[in-house]
Amino acid sequence: MFLALKEIKREKLRYTLIIAMIVLISYLIFVLTSLALGLAQQNTAAIDSWDTQQVVLNKDANTNLTQSLLTKDQVKKTDLGAKDAYLGQAPVVATAKGQEKTSAQFLGLAADQFIAQNLKLSAGRQANAKHEVVADTAFQDAGYHLGDKVTLNSGKTPYKIVGFTKNAKLNVAPVLYGTLPAWRALKNVGPQFAASALVSQRANFKGRGSQLQTYTTQQFIDKLPGYSAQNSTFTFMIGFLMVISLIVIAVFLYILTVQKLQNYAVLRAQGIPAKTLVSATISQAIILVVGGLAIGTLLTAATALLIPTSVPMSFDLPILGAVALGLVATGILGALIPTRMILHVDPVSVIGG
Amino acid sequence: MTTIQLSHINKSFGQQTSRVQVLSDINFTAQAGQLSLVIGPSGSGKSTFLTIAGGLQTPNSGQVLLNQKSLPALTAKQRDALRLNQIGFILQAYNLVPYLTVREQFKLADRVKKQGNLSADALQNLLQRLGIRELQQKYPDQLSGGQKQRVAIARALYTDPKIVLADEPTAALDSDRVKEIGRLFADLAKTQHKAIIVVTHDLRLRQYADRVYQLMDGKISRKAG
Ligand SMILES: Nc1ncnc2c1ncn2[C@@H]1O[C@H](COP(=O)(O)OP(=O)(O)O)[C@@H](O)[C@H]1O
Ligand SMILES: [Mg+2]
Repeated sequence: MFLALKEIKREKLRYTLIIAMIVLISYLIFVLTSLALGLAQQNTAAIDSWDTQQVVLNKDANTNLTQSLLTKDQVKKTDLGAKDAYLGQAPVVATAKGQEKTSAQFLGLAADQFIAQNLKLSAGRQANAKHEVVADTAFQDAGYHLGDKVTLNSGKTPYKIVGFTKNAKLNVAPVLYGTLPAWRALKNVGPQFAASALVSQRANFKGRGSQLQTYTTQQFIDKLPGYSAQNSTFTFMIGFLMVISLIVIAVFLYILTVQKLQNYAVLRAQGIPAKTLVSATISQAIILVVGGLAIGTLLTAATALLIPTSVPMSFDLPILGAVALGLVATGILGALIPTRMILHVDPVSVIGG
Repeated sequence: MTTIQLSHINKSFGQQTSRVQVLSDINFTAQAGQLSLVIGPSGSGKSTFLTIAGGLQTPNSGQVLLNQKSLPALTAKQRDALRLNQIGFILQAYNLVPYLTVREQFKLADRVKKQGNLSADALQNLLQRLGIRELQQKYPDQLSGGQKQRVAIARALYTDPKIVLADEPTAALDSDRVKEIGRLFADLAKTQHKAIIVVTHDLRLRQYADRVYQLMDGKISRKAG
């Protein structure tokens, strides 16, 4: 520690540059990971907020909510309890005076079922009448207010925003929660249709009926259009970035150690134990990487505060913690690789003719 | 008491046609309480001789005994401990750590050798005598060649070694300093019973030596003191 700190103190420029590099790398990884996670959550935030376990769709719908329609006949054998609900989904385009067109997801709910009951409103009240909706706060961010009217698709009667709720995103689009009758109108289906899907918070819930197929929520999410492809692309991007960054850091610390060998040879000649020199090298690597990570974390936090809400960032502490640990571990590894050289450094090499 | 003894030492570098025999059949003994001076021209093998004596380098053949113990028989760890505790090396390339101040060079020694180093007073006296007492907050790159050399001498003596091996310790010093160093070495040999071996081409040290040797063409021979 003594040697490690003294050297950093004396060679400020060099060590500042190395810490800056580690800061930038950790910042890059943290921000990208959080952005990817933020985007992933935009696909599923609404579903996550309902806390459901099972989803029942029409078995011909290929696990696609938009393709699924359930008639009252098809669902009549399935009893719905307090933890089960109908869900009617229709993609809509929302327009209002002075606002740009917004692609949104209309979700029709039964007011007495758990999704509507458990909906956490940040403002306003539940939608009771057919032409009332509770909107995702993205609408609020876009300038909509309580009481504003929005036209959905090319319908004649506009819908009134009576409430706002956070984290209502499905398939990267903001959600408008309304009623099932409104859903039928927007979907252009008759009264014989019950909903698009049944969802349940119970793990053992099953749709009864030959036309119904039951999926776990995870199976359902994985089949959300584009979701899996997007996630695996990001996972690979971040994975490659990690591996390459780790190699870069390891190489830097390796070079750093190699440059010290000359000094170490002198110290070895004086009988300073190799152990002292190895621990100086490793503690220095830890100081550099941990210092860099700390600053990188602060920068990431500052970025999250400053970035517009339309670019969502989400922090998964276990994942970021694992990234940080990975960086520390490779830092140590990079410093350790030349240990063999430290142990075998030849004091005679510095004695000179 | 014999402190350091080299017998039948041979050392060569390189192979076949490029082979240089640097030391051939060297026999040498240095006693505690004596300042031994080995004089030889540049390239005569002085540094090689000294590093073999201090266990930094192994000869092709022959024996190095330190207090009757054979150096090559020791483990690397034991040789480390020996260098740390018994031997003070004054290297030709000045053995200073570039990112430590003069003061910290001694602190580093304290950290690895906890006992038996010079007291604070003794260290200040030594620094005073070497004329570097005012330089304790300076880094090596802020010192002149001669100042660095004297700090290196102080650093080697700080651990109070029984044996001092010095490689051209006066190369960068003016005559007054050379006299001071000569007297210091002679004193340390007499009063503290150290074995001091200095290899040099600096004849100015000759008058302080108890024994003078000549190293030439791989052979060592005793000169009249
Ligand atoms: N590690 C080495 N490899 C090859 N030749 C060496 C090595 N060390 C010393 N020599 C050669 O041995 C001779 C003596 O070197 P050295 O002991 O440094 O002499 P001095 O210290 O008297 O100037 C020189 O010719 C030098 O080139
Ligand atoms: Mg030499």
